Amino acid sequence: MGILSILLVLFIVAVVAVWLYIVNQGNAELDFMLDQRTDFKLEEMSFNRAVFSCNVPFVNKGKQDGIIMDCFPRHQLPQEQFDAVELASRIELENKRRLDGYFESVIIPTKTGNSLIVTLIFTAKTGDIRQALAGMVDMSVDIIYQVYALSKWYIAKPRMVVKASEFTQALSTGVSEV
Amino acid sequence: MAKLELVAVKTRILTPDDDILDALEEYAKDKIGPGDVVSVAESVVAITQGRIIRPEELNPGFWACLLSRFFSTKGSLSNPAGMQAAMNLEGQWRIVAAFFIGMLCKLVGIKGVFYRLGGQQAPLIDDVTGTMPPFDKHIVYGPSDPQGVAEAIKKRLGCFGAAVADVNDLKRALIVGITDGVNEQELREILIDNPFGNASQKTPIVIVKNYADAVAKVQAKATV
Repeated sequence: MGILSILLVLFIVAVVAVWLYIVNQGNAELDFMLDQRTDFKLEEMSFNRAVFSCNVPFVNKGKQDGIIMDCFPRHQLPQEQFDAVELASRIELENKRRLDGYFESVIIPTKTGNSLIVTLIFTAKTGDIRQALAGMVDMSVDIIYQVYALSKWYIAKPRMVVKASEFTQALSTGVSEV
Repeated sequence: MAKLELVAVKTRILTPDDDILDALEEYAKDKIGPGDVVSVAESVVAITQGRIIRPEELNPGFWACLLSRFFSTKGSLSNPAGMQAAMNLEGQWRIVAAFFIGMLCKLVGIKGVFYRLGGQQAPLIDDVTGTMPPFDKHIVYGPSDPQGVAEAIKKRLGCFGAAVADVNDLKRALIVGITDGVNEQELREILIDNPFGNASQKTPIVIVKNYADAVAKVQAKATV
């Protein structure tokens, strides 16, 4: 009985030690700072097409490196709400831009960050894009990302709200210099 | 006498629909001579063998979640999915046993025991981000029968020798399959600076030109 008790105590101590180790080890913790994003700027403009983009900074606040395995935008502009444009969107890393819509998985070391470029491409269904966007409404864009780190992978989708006035302002400012 | 020279051969992105021997013939045959050694990146061999899996297809169990916490976060086994992939290939209990024996050995200063006991696949698994798009979102296993692949390359291309190699920019060169007549240690040293380049360079084939001549020269010197 004495030996069994000792083994039981040792087992409990080992379990607690492993638990403390894992808690202390921590994990990656990605924070997309939507409240610090820039306003949308006009990147390109033609008669029937306007391309807007904004920067969204993010940081890995956790104690471990993490991987953003995938990241893409989901714009929420149903035709029931606004039917004058076709909308496409994409997300790129600021320091590794690409136009193919593919997000190459990337390691974000602990305590470091980067920035996403969220691009919205509006094409007028008929005629002038300026006229089409005149009746634009506020809309939401979900940033959907998949994290792969020390725990099982997970998907999150924080939402940013884009005011119609941002597009109006960007159109009046004109195409921004890169 | 011709000098030893490394020639990296660019290919398209090879996929599970490709045959590595056909790809070698397509991209490198006209560059390969009878005295050359052809080396191929192990991850590309594995991809052409279809030895890839998405983390979403794995369901890491208790042991995978626990043991992965004790591996360097720079390695491929530090994620539950990567660890589960190793367990699926080598057997859960083999990995668990290798872990505990490896840990005990480490306590007395003996390193590397886990990888010796955990099976050939454990050190060869490439985790997410470890390979070029579109395989950057996959776990890539080590190749199956790399020795057989090396021998098949030699036979098909009529070269002096062939090897399947795992080389990275951290000065790690591991030969996982090699034909007779090629010295593994020498080839490791030849490839140590990673002539395969990074993934985006798409050069998974490196031809060691004039290897046979260089060996003959060294042997002749040794006998004088």
